[in-house]
Amino acid sequence: MPSEIPNRSWPWVAIGVSAAAALILAMVSPADAVQGELVRIMYVHVPAAWLAYLAFAVTLVASIGYLFTRNLAWDRVAASSAEIGVYFTGLAIALGMIWARPTWGVWWTWDARLTLTAIMFFVYIGYLALRKTTDDPRTRAGRAAVLGIVGAVQIPLVHFSVVWWRTLHQPASILRPDGPAIQDPLMRWALLAGVAAFTVIYLSLMVKRIELHKLDDATYSAEVSADRPVAGASVAIPDLEQGPGDV
Amino acid sequence: MSEWSWVTLAYVVAYGSLGLFIASISMRIRSARERLEALAPEQQG
Repeated sequence: MPSEIPNRSWPWVAIGVSAAAALILAMVSPADAVQGELVRIMYVHVPAAWLAYLAFAVTLVASIGYLFTRNLAWDRVAASSAEIGVYFTGLAIALGMIWARPTWGVWWTWDARLTLTAIMFFVYIGYLALRKTTDDPRTRAGRAAVLGIVGAVQIPLVHFSVVWWRTLHQPASILRPDGPAIQDPLMRWALLAGVAAFTVIYLSLMVKRIELHKLDDATYSAEVSADRPVAGASVAIPDLEQGPGDV
Repeated sequence: MSEWSWVTLAYVVAYGSLGLFIASISMRIRSARERLEALAPEQQG
């Protein structure tokens, strides 16, 4: 029997189903004794932050993979994961600000966790900008791989910042030496469902983002083989030796 | 603002931005396909 869903659409379906499941669990879980209903923000804020770590860790592994093999498939994975990681980092920061305003009384504070997360966000925006500095896939992949490896130093810095420095931000909720801080099983399930849903969303986005990367590479190859000027190469350096009348 | 208003704002931001991100990737894929298809006849010619 032929599939009802076209192959290219399954990532979108996976995103819809997992996001809906996480939303339902987040809404039926109980309110917190201290934070009240605001605890529900945790079910999207924490998964977004975790997925940012995962995405940048994948960029690290793929960058190492590229430098060892010089296979552009690794670069496609690194670039796609970095772009999605930037999205999740931005989302984690935005949700953290929305959570901070009613609980801390401020949208932002120069706390170690918040500041380091913001720095990580801007470093990976720099990674994406670095990729735009050249059209040559190999040069671009080499430069980006170096920053993809160096930038990953920030992942443990951000994660352990709440342990290493005295911060306003609360410590880890689940992965802590003395066991999870969340006692209610339904709240724990809601958080795990959020993390699982965001992981499915990440994987689905990766499939589509890599597809886009392949299309862009194919366009570049087609333009080069057709001897057409490639994107970004349309601006030529003016010949300063030549006067305006010589043109 | 009530607690539920903050929660609603957070979920609108989370799911709304996800929708926009998906839409942007989807549109970029579509335009990349169109660009590639436009190049293909030129190469054949």
